[in-house]
Amino acid sequence: MAPIVRISNLEKYFGRLHVLKQISVDVASREVVCIIGRSGSGKSTLLRCINFLEEPSFGTIEVDGLAVAAGERGKEHRQLVHDIRLKTGMVFQEFNLFPHMSVLENVIEGPVTVKGMDRSKAIELAEQNLDSVGLLFKKDEYPNRLSGGQKQRVAIARALTMEPKVMLFDEPTSALDPELIGEVLNVMKKVAKDGMTMLVVTHEMGFAREVADRVLVMADGEMIEDAKPDTLFSNPQDPRTKALIDRYRTGNN
Amino acid sequence: MRSDSTAAHVPKPTLSQADLLYEAQQRKSRQFRTNVSLSWGILLLLLLYLFSGQNFLGLKTIRLDFEFIRDNIGFIAGGIPQTLLVSILSISLATVLALLAALGRLSTIPPLYALSTFYVSLIRGTPLYLQIFFFFLALPQLGIVLSGMFAGVLALGLNYGAYMSEIFRAGLASVGKGQREAAIAIGMTPWQTMKRVVLPQALRFAIPPIGNDFIAMTKDSALVSATGFVHEVMWRATRVGRAQFHNLEALIIAAMFYWVMTILLTYVQGIIEARLSRGDR
Repeated sequence: MAPIVRISNLEKYFGRLHVLKQISVDVASREVVCIIGRSGSGKSTLLRCINFLEEPSFGTIEVDGLAVAAGERGKEHRQLVHDIRLKTGMVFQEFNLFPHMSVLENVIEGPVTVKGMDRSKAIELAEQNLDSVGLLFKKDEYPNRLSGGQKQRVAIARALTMEPKVMLFDEPTSALDPELIGEVLNVMKKVAKDGMTMLVVTHEMGFAREVADRVLVMADGEMIEDAKPDTLFSNPQDPRTKALIDRYRTGNN
Repeated sequence: MRSDSTAAHVPKPTLSQADLLYEAQQRKSRQFRTNVSLSWGILLLLLLYLFSGQNFLGLKTIRLDFEFIRDNIGFIAGGIPQTLLVSILSISLATVLALLAALGRLSTIPPLYALSTFYVSLIRGTPLYLQIFFFFLALPQLGIVLSGMFAGVLALGLNYGAYMSEIFRAGLASVGKGQREAAIAIGMTPWQTMKRVVLPQALRFAIPPIGNDFIAMTKDSALVSATGFVHEVMWRATRVGRAQFHNLEALIIAAMFYWVMTILLTYVQGIIEARLSRGDR
């Protein structure tokens, strides 16, 4: 089967800084891929290039049959980028809920404003997704009344309500108090179980080990390892991967 | 407390140390407020006494012509609607211009950025008084004749717009990058992002300072009287004051009206601000 996400020869520069070097990855439909690496390794930038929150410097991004080459301009390019954004849902480290909208309004905003979906249909869909993240009872609250974990679960519901083909998670639990991480990971497990294709940038080794089909390891802008979690955690090939895993092991125990 | 078998074990309700501290604090701040109010009253009485015309302990106070005040206070008060009208029209124009200038300032299109900074620089670099005269007295030389009201509102609006653009710039800057990214990630166009996500948050941020500027505007609207054709409070006060050589009384009346207006408007603004900060920030 053709991959649903195909990243080919991706390069990214921030000014003179070379943050992504020759990255090529294929992700199959329904696959859960975790991306790990030290901060500054380029893993977030890689994820953000997929929906063009960062403009890639070179290479191509392909999502569900839509291919966009870096460096293109013009109307056609903008339309392609827009279509790719509709096929990808994104969850941010800092949640980024809209503070001036209630939980329900946050979740229906995309479908109604962007897709032009009928409001009542959007509400129905939103309520389903809020229910599945366990927060339907908070639908009329404003984000400032929610805990960090609840905010992130709403953010996941917001992304899901756009009915994306691929979900991108950018360190979804890194801004959370330790006791709130579990509820978000549980929701993510549920999303994975429902068959969503997921790319997850994370420091949660336990989650990567338990849920991921594949784990990618980034270091200094390069992808140094791409393996099944069992293989990777028991037998890391690159010494930097080994150091990374050891550090989290000692950190967690 | 109604007695039953367990009541005997319940300790008498006493004030905890925290309660006592809290009460002491409350008492202190109540006392402070009372003393401030009293002092205000004394200052106000002193001011009234200064204009009472009474001689006390050999101090001569100012004698006002109360007959003149009685005869003319109504005429001067008749300018209040005009003052408010000038202020409301000007602040509306200023708000629109300020928003456009702020957006221009954030634009990546060079001509728009230039237009915005040019406007702000030119207007802030020249006196408001001059600008009012420019629109009213200088433009007719080019065959453009504006009514006093129109020239005044245009000048005040342009002037305040230039200053207020900073408010909107700060308001737009207060909306974090993450908000824009979240909007873009769900597929919003730049225009949708601005309209649905950034502006509503920026406007909420900007409302209290706009209120401040509106209050300042009610006073600066007095400058429009210089055109001689807008019959607001200041114009009326100078007119009757000069005609009957009672400028002292006339200006005192006008000052009282401006003062009361700003106090009332400040009060209203306080209510609006409290309401804004209560809700769903």
